[in-house]
Amino acid sequence: MINRRNFLTTVALGTASAAFLSACGQSSPAQTGSAQNPVTINYTWWGNDDRAERTRKAIALFESKNPDIKVNGNFTDFAGYWQKRATEAAGGGLPDVMQWDLSYLRDYGQRNQLLDLGTVKINTDAFDKSLLPSGQIRGKTYGIPTSTNAFAVYYDPAKLKSLGIAEPDGSWNYKEFNAFLADVGQKGNGTLFGGTDYTGIWWNFNIWLRQNNIKAFTDEGKLGFSKDDLKKWWNLTADLRGTGAIVGEDKATQLLPKSPFGSNVTATEVTWDNFMAGYLADSGAKELKLVPVPSDDPVNLGLFLKPSMLMVASAKTKYKDAAARFIDFMVNDPEVGQIFKTSRGVPASKTQRDGTTFEGTDKLVVDYEKSIEKYLKDAPEPPIVGFGTLESTFKRVTQDLNYGKLTVDGAVDAWFKEAEDLIKQNA
Amino acid sequence: MTQSPTLSRRSQTSAVPQSRKPRRRGADTRAGYTFLLPWLLGFIALTVGPMISSLYLSFTNYNLFDAPKWIGFDNYATLFQDERFLQSVGVTLSYVVFGTPLKLAAALLVAMLLNSKRRGQGFYRSAFYAPSLIGASVSIAIVWKAMFGDSGPVDQGLSFLGINLGGWVGNPNMTMGMMILLTVWQFGAPMVIFLAGLKQIPADLYEAASMDGAGPVRKFINITWPMLSPVIFFNLLMETIHAFQIFASAYIISNGEGGPAGSTLFYTLYLYLRGFSDFRMGYASAMAWLLVIVVGVITLIFFKTSKSWVHYSGDAK
Repeated sequence: MINRRNFLTTVALGTASAAFLSACGQSSPAQTGSAQNPVTINYTWWGNDDRAERTRKAIALFESKNPDIKVNGNFTDFAGYWQKRATEAAGGGLPDVMQWDLSYLRDYGQRNQLLDLGTVKINTDAFDKSLLPSGQIRGKTYGIPTSTNAFAVYYDPAKLKSLGIAEPDGSWNYKEFNAFLADVGQKGNGTLFGGTDYTGIWWNFNIWLRQNNIKAFTDEGKLGFSKDDLKKWWNLTADLRGTGAIVGEDKATQLLPKSPFGSNVTATEVTWDNFMAGYLADSGAKELKLVPVPSDDPVNLGLFLKPSMLMVASAKTKYKDAAARFIDFMVNDPEVGQIFKTSRGVPASKTQRDGTTFEGTDKLVVDYEKSIEKYLKDAPEPPIVGFGTLESTFKRVTQDLNYGKLTVDGAVDAWFKEAEDLIKQNA
Repeated sequence: MTQSPTLSRRSQTSAVPQSRKPRRRGADTRAGYTFLLPWLLGFIALTVGPMISSLYLSFTNYNLFDAPKWIGFDNYATLFQDERFLQSVGVTLSYVVFGTPLKLAAALLVAMLLNSKRRGQGFYRSAFYAPSLIGASVSIAIVWKAMFGDSGPVDQGLSFLGINLGGWVGNPNMTMGMMILLTVWQFGAPMVIFLAGLKQIPADLYEAASMDGAGPVRKFINITWPMLSPVIFFNLLMETIHAFQIFASAYIISNGEGGPAGSTLFYTLYLYLRGFSDFRMGYASAMAWLLVIVVGVITLIFFKTSKSWVHYSGDAK
């Protein structure tokens, strides 16, 4: 335990002294390279082996086109990723270029850890103008979206057919959606459940707020909704908890790190549309389909395209120009689109999207995003500082609800306490 | 750094041939410290330094990015209003109170069985010791998770006996039992120490007791326990401190979240989450120091009470 506690300070001291030494002994290094003497930039990302393989291909392609730059790649899983970045930031040694998540953009951008990409040359002409603000904070651009994803309801047509249930068309309100889940649960008879508790996912709540024209966060970084709103939300599935409509938390916990949907325990799942490839691989299902989320207002589905991931650069990078060229390449180059397909989400840049051929499941995801185009509204701005914690607390509190350890009122109080504490903490 | 060993070696050689007795001591001491130096530097730079800075941080609001803000005892005060903190204290205490004695009992029992002279004892000793070597590893926690899941071997075995508990992993009422079983299973380290202690007890004591007609229980209470009490004390102390620090297995079994429903939210796991997920390093430091103080106090209490039940050879008793 002692070692763990010491770890951070040690790293901080170590990197601080290293920084001190290098600051003393350094004549200003060349900021640009040449083919004979290339500069090396560090790039880091999260993801599985599949993404690592694709990223390596993209890096090799970049290096062959830009002989004056070498890219040193490095990756970990999502949870470990943020712990590493935190310690690096504390020591002032963030990698030059990083894959980033919207949930953490404000934490680092607002604290001057990320490079203002408006000061370097990155071509954003091919980007949808409603998407770019999600990488901006107070008028400065800290992240460029690589790709987009949207919220959707997944279902497995084969499973519904075997239960004799008609496939949904996605024009449903919450009552109808609940009835559908209950129907699956009843006919599934303990072996197949309707879905997971969809009220446990922050982004789903955020969409519901948008359907009711409520902002999740105010411009001042405070909560934009009331305890009553959250109560209404968590009460939506109050009658379904503990029935076949919702898979029990005890079951879901054991399946981790796979989801109940990927483990063929539920017939539906409400989440981001770029999880398609992962679900197909996990479940072994022949085909999965996507329909829009329920809404009580048939013309306002609250949907939006979110950057599934962003590219950012460290504020302290010595090679701003090289970093910018690499980011530009990763988000715009059509050949990079061919390498990643929809595994990062649907390419955000039109140049890259048009240069990519989508087939099979990749086409399903692209088609879904096209089909909801008329419902799409502006993406939300980067959430508040500490949002990652709020998101995980949201999930945890809903799990306690499903275990029956908390009432809806208790859950609302618990989440608000955490949120208010956090907002005060970071004020 | 690079200079000092050469320097002290020179001073040593020059010191030795002159007057032997009084100087010798000083030279030896110096040589001793010279050899200690690498470790001492590491200890000061990597342990003492960070501990002091964490003590300072525990009085601040520190998020890793901005400079720490001094807030006095706020962190410590907030701790006791934090329901998750109180939950983590409860979880950890029940683990220490139930897990440690069970583990020591298992260790002592097996050590006594292994103390007799039979064929293949060497193999059994290794076999019983092995779990404690691999027990803290990632793979074992994963295997454990699979064993105690729905229709895992444990569930199936119990169902065969007519006990239907279902999976333990997802059931908040069963996870503590599972964690305690995991630690009890790793009794190897205290067992080896018990075994060494048992071998130190003179056989003639048992012989004499047998002549006087004492049974095995009597022999255990009047010979084994008192003769072994220093070893028992040592094991109790080490295992208690160790139990307070449980982290890795809980982290893996609960996917780093302390679930289900907070039932594996051990103290150190919550500390870690506060520090590295929520970036509240000041709060985490305060938790760490509170743990240091509590473990220190418990150790002190153990030492104070030990006088009444621990017998060292050469004592008047």
